[in-house]
Amino acid sequence: MLERIARDRVATLFLVTVAVLSLVGLAAPGFLSAGTATIIWSNGLVLMLVALGIFPVILTRNIDVSGGSILGLSAVVLGLALNDGFALPLALGFALGAGIFAGVVNGLLVAGLGVPSIVATLGTLGLFRGVMLITTGGEWIEELPEALKSLGAKSFGGLSIMGIITALVIVAVWWFLRSRRGRWVMVTGDNREAARHLGLPVRRIELLAFTWAGAMYALAGITFAAQIGFVPNQAGNGIELRAIAALVLGGISLLGGVGSVGGVVIGVIFFTSIDTSLVFLKIPAYWNDLIGGAMLLGVLLIDGRLRIALEARDRAARYRRGSQAEQKSRPLEDAA
Amino acid sequence: MEPVLAELDSVSKSYAGIPVLKRVNFSVRAGEIHALLGGNGAGKSTLMKILAGLVQASGGDVRIADAPLVPATPAQALAMGLYLVPQEAHIFPNQSVLENICIGLPKPAAAYRARVQELIAQIGVSLSPETKAATLEIADRQIVEILRGLVREAKVLILDEPTSALTPHEVQTLFARMQGLRAAGHGLVFISHKLHELRAVCDRITVLRDGNVVLSANMDQSTDSDILTAMSPGVTELEARGAGRQTSSEAVLALDALSGEGFVDISFDVRRGEVLGLTGVVGAGRTELAETLVGLRPRTCGDVMLEGQMFRANSPSDAVRQGIVHLSEDRQQYGLFLEAPLFWNASSFVYDRLPFFLRPGTERKRFARYREMLGIKCASPDQPAGSLSGGNQQKVLLAKCLVAEPKLLILDEPTRGVDVGARNDIYRIIEELAAQGTSVLLISSDFDEVVRLSDRIAVMAGGHLAGELPGGATTDEISQLAFEAREVEHA
Repeated sequence: MLERIARDRVATLFLVTVAVLSLVGLAAPGFLSAGTATIIWSNGLVLMLVALGIFPVILTRNIDVSGGSILGLSAVVLGLALNDGFALPLALGFALGAGIFAGVVNGLLVAGLGVPSIVATLGTLGLFRGVMLITTGGEWIEELPEALKSLGAKSFGGLSIMGIITALVIVAVWWFLRSRRGRWVMVTGDNREAARHLGLPVRRIELLAFTWAGAMYALAGITFAAQIGFVPNQAGNGIELRAIAALVLGGISLLGGVGSVGGVVIGVIFFTSIDTSLVFLKIPAYWNDLIGGAMLLGVLLIDGRLRIALEARDRAARYRRGSQAEQKSRPLEDAA
Repeated sequence: MEPVLAELDSVSKSYAGIPVLKRVNFSVRAGEIHALLGGNGAGKSTLMKILAGLVQASGGDVRIADAPLVPATPAQALAMGLYLVPQEAHIFPNQSVLENICIGLPKPAAAYRARVQELIAQIGVSLSPETKAATLEIADRQIVEILRGLVREAKVLILDEPTSALTPHEVQTLFARMQGLRAAGHGLVFISHKLHELRAVCDRITVLRDGNVVLSANMDQSTDSDILTAMSPGVTELEARGAGRQTSSEAVLALDALSGEGFVDISFDVRRGEVLGLTGVVGAGRTELAETLVGLRPRTCGDVMLEGQMFRANSPSDAVRQGIVHLSEDRQQYGLFLEAPLFWNASSFVYDRLPFFLRPGTERKRFARYREMLGIKCASPDQPAGSLSGGNQQKVLLAKCLVAEPKLLILDEPTRGVDVGARNDIYRIIEELAAQGTSVLLISSDFDEVVRLSDRIAVMAGGHLAGELPGGATTDEISQLAFEAREVEHA
């Protein structure tokens, strides 16, 4: 049992999260409640959507650091459209379209022109943020309509509409990765040359991964605007790195080909729980980054050491088995 | 005459202005096995990659099953019923063996499980479909590639040196599968450097040299010497070293009951200026033994003496400092720095002996010395190592080993995937080294090679030392020792 948990990053992280939450519960009575759970879920929505976006990109052994900028751009498109009097569904469509367009730009740069993804998305990180600032002229977009804010407000059993959509997205990604096409995404990152050799459309797969990412950043942008009711210039700034950290924590390999949706979800929830706990413990918010970073390193280090130890043991066992099988065959050999 | 399944019509290809293929004609008919032969850099692989849609021809026509369609992508070539089993296996390390084989097929992997298991049983290898591919040895990865080709039942199946990692028994069963496909009307292309293998199964032969077809004939109408002359004029088969050469009796390396991962209780010694052939089938524990000696794997018990001193290495570089240099069989992983200039590669074993501020001039000169000695064909010492052909890369690896001036040189499969010309060069180099007093531990599963080069032969089977033979022993004697344990395992 213990061993299975040690082998499974998702399970390890789940237990660590439960342990952290219980400790906080001891220190701050009233913390452990359904209410806190919905707070953590809703606080983590934006990060969750960004992480779900980057997830397939990382599975294909690429990286996308332009998420924060695309989030900001989509939010600005949404805000401007609403303030110009467009209906909410139409404005949402524009925002989603902007995210998808930006994702396609990233995808074409990487899959079409063969620019290394870190270079391409570092470029578009600046580019999209620039487009956003020029569009707004550096102004914040305020006084967003109530209709938008209601998307982020708790309505169904403590969940907001965006919260429910996010849950559906998680199920969809889980289902997709179990499909044959989902496997294609995994193996493209595992060994791109082999995937090409076996006739998989690797470039199309990469393009689609970046496009998906763009769409998710747009959803994150919509959620962001709905939750806080205005769009500041720095909307989404730096969130891509937090999302990547959450993914790594959830066992998604930056070398591609390894990772599960469970890992994404638990990674994000872990980060958000820490932030939320600090509020309950009345620790000043500027401690968040330090504690989050230390927790990340701690979990990764312990997990890495455990894994090395287990692998060494497995290897020894394999060879021991090998020599036992050999010894069993010895008498036969003597007879022959 | 059987219909032509795939045809290349005066196909040309050049890379950066350098022609690799010059108006080459090549065809595969239904129900034939077509041998494709040629030295490294002759253009075989490029030709087959064009057929498989992995590389685009610069000129000429490619037709598959009479469709006047050029496969522009691997997906199209696969859809047209063509599969290329490449020389270096393409593996998805994080997926199971079954997924590795079935990725890209129209149905989910589970639908092919029974078929895959049947093929595994037929070929007679021990391989579980559930194993994670990252844990597979090189030989098993190659088998996964072959299984991919067999499961796909491609109308045209190209096998690029499929036998280099197989044992003789597995080679025979692979041949039987190939003949079965031929009888069913498939067309096969078989690339190999081993003439006797080609003779065993092939109907037609095409020989490439420097991008030209220099021989195209029925297999039974061409003699071995025709083929060898066509392939590399002026190269003749080397004489065997012969037994009874005078060697010193002084042991340079002595193993005393050494055990480790995959082998138990191994004792032998390697004498000064001697080539000791260490052979056996894949999985016998030879590579593990070599890796344990240089500190890549843990040692469980036993002693090693180097020139009378207790020897223990914590890492390969530690072994180099003490005088043992190891050339790994896994050239992809432990081989060259492909992007780095040749002379960097040549110095890479001895960085700790170089001055703090490097002197590229001295390094280049040193490389030039070995370049001449080993006959490395290259334009400049500043050329990236990846731009050389396989045989030349192997020579650069040898140069890198020799720069370290080893007392004992461990060569693991030094001629795998190397053409006849370069192989003869490597044989000559090994002989010269031994004559100059370097001891060589030659690990090879090519029994002919072992017989030709070794002063003495140690045979391993199933992790044990099966026996020691004097130089001049026959391949039959080696097989007898090497297969004893293996056959029992199968029984």
